[in-house]
Amino acid sequence: MTSLEMTQEDRTRKKYLGIIRRTRLTRNLTLIIPSIILALFVIMAIFANLSWLGLPHVGLAPHDPNLITMRDQYLPPAFVAGGKSTYLLGTDKLGRDILSRIIYGSRISLSISMLVIFITAFIGTVLGIIAGYAGGGVDGFIMRVTDVALSFPGLLLALLLSVAIGPGYWTVVFALSILGWASYARLIRGEAMRIRQSDFVAQARVSGASSVRIMLRHIFPNIINSLIVLMTLSVGMVILAEAVLSFIGVGVPPPTASWGSMVNDGRTDIDTAWWISAFPGICIGLVVLSGNFLGDWIRDKLDPRLRQL
Amino acid sequence: MTRFIIIRVLQSIVALFGILVLVFFLVRASGDPMRLIESPNMTTAQYEAIKAKWGLDKSWGEQFILYMGHLAHGDLGKSLIRDQPEIYMIKLALPNTLKLIIPSFIVGMLLALVLGITAATYRDSFWDNGVKFLAVLGQALPGFWVAIMAVLIFSVDLRWLPVAGMTKPANYVLPVGTMVFFMMPGMMRLVRSSMLDVLDSEYVKLARIKGLPERLVIWKHALRNALISPLTVAGMIFAMFITGAVITETIFNWPGLGRLLVEDTFSRDFAGVQAITIIVAIFVLGINLLVDISYAFIDPQIRYQRS
Repeated sequence: MTSLEMTQEDRTRKKYLGIIRRTRLTRNLTLIIPSIILALFVIMAIFANLSWLGLPHVGLAPHDPNLITMRDQYLPPAFVAGGKSTYLLGTDKLGRDILSRIIYGSRISLSISMLVIFITAFIGTVLGIIAGYAGGGVDGFIMRVTDVALSFPGLLLALLLSVAIGPGYWTVVFALSILGWASYARLIRGEAMRIRQSDFVAQARVSGASSVRIMLRHIFPNIINSLIVLMTLSVGMVILAEAVLSFIGVGVPPPTASWGSMVNDGRTDIDTAWWISAFPGICIGLVVLSGNFLGDWIRDKLDPRLRQL
Repeated sequence: MTRFIIIRVLQSIVALFGILVLVFFLVRASGDPMRLIESPNMTTAQYEAIKAKWGLDKSWGEQFILYMGHLAHGDLGKSLIRDQPEIYMIKLALPNTLKLIIPSFIVGMLLALVLGITAATYRDSFWDNGVKFLAVLGQALPGFWVAIMAVLIFSVDLRWLPVAGMTKPANYVLPVGTMVFFMMPGMMRLVRSSMLDVLDSEYVKLARIKGLPERLVIWKHALRNALISPLTVAGMIFAMFITGAVITETIFNWPGLGRLLVEDTFSRDFAGVQAITIIVAIFVLGINLLVDISYAFIDPQIRYQRS
């Protein structure tokens, strides 16, 4: 072994160690940064005010989000000429504080998406396991319904529901859940079909376990990873869908602040007061981006097979 | 194959029936639509006459039979607010929506194909990373917000493009751009990943071993096979276009189907919303049926698996 080869080898090793270190760093950054951003928004939502502790006037939001102060209307953000330091991100057409409305709006966006994700994951998992385990006609029927639900424009159904039962918090939750289960059902069904073939399910059946027991105790624990991955990946999608509904005007009705409706509020004043639309939109983008990155990270950790999702 | 097609057509008909039933009961879930029509200075006789005119005096069962009967004749009902057949409003609005969708589809598809394929060909290059970054951003930023910011930059600040109107080509830039923003990133990602799969396959390797020029390998052998997987999501692309049209038409005051739908929603005109929902449902099922059948033609495995 000559000294030249040694250095060559060293150089190669050094190069690869560098690559490994760098990928590890970026991989950890895609965990840390999104987690911090999401955590900040969750803290914002929880501590917007402390009315749940009996202290409605203490909290992160500097103003009442619905307080109308006409003499302070259309104030630009504090860091722009003409802005007031009491209104950090400016005010809207009714003189309401944009920052406070964003803070309160995070409650709507986050709570609706959490509810929707749990409801759709539950329905989709139940249907998916049943379809994958039962097979045959049951499977065919559930999957046909899933296909239709997957390709039906959700916005249309949301508009229809808003006409039918009137706009409101629960209408939004219902409208986003009624089709959202389909992607869960399709994924879980595939997993359940795969697991059904395995030896431990056959052994459970031989030892006399009922179908319900097999589905709950043998199949379900084995799909939890995929379920968690899909749930995290859908955070972004649900937040965006909620924002679209409130932007169109069929979300949680005014004066309740929600990010999508705030973007819409500023639409007609975009030539004079850009800050009304700009900041809530940035928040939506940040949360969705963080959710997607976190989802990717969790997928790579738990279930890299799902990369196609 | 015939058996497969027959089964799929029957399934689609059953699904359509299911959607019609769902829509019928959903729009009546709020209770009495008369509450939206009545006014304080109506006499009881007038009230009853209007009720009878819309068939609201009958039981739900009778109403349902009437509704299905009308649908079978292609009658989508009358708008409660405008007192006009809904189909008339739809005929007025549909061409405007098509004027928006068709250029968006062509531009979006071309961009998605070119960007997706070049990114896959030069995997992990600077270009590929740029395309991936664009996809990540496109799937995270809300399209309606991007459209409004584009208005701020290109119309308000730079004064390059008009905000409203639909006569000049310049009027199309922002609305079409918004529509493209809705569909392109997802499509591009799909093209890229299916292209990567195909480039890794045996027949592409064979084509290379044969000594075919790289240009032919990519644009003829690989592209043809990479196009199959975007085909399977045609239904989802259609759904994206519906969402995109509703939002784009709202922002740019475009007198199309999407805006008609939103207006009907706010005037609580359930006949209008119902009619548009039914038309879209027929389209969705039709597209899914076509995709399934064409896919079964292309890929024999599916034909045998599903029938």
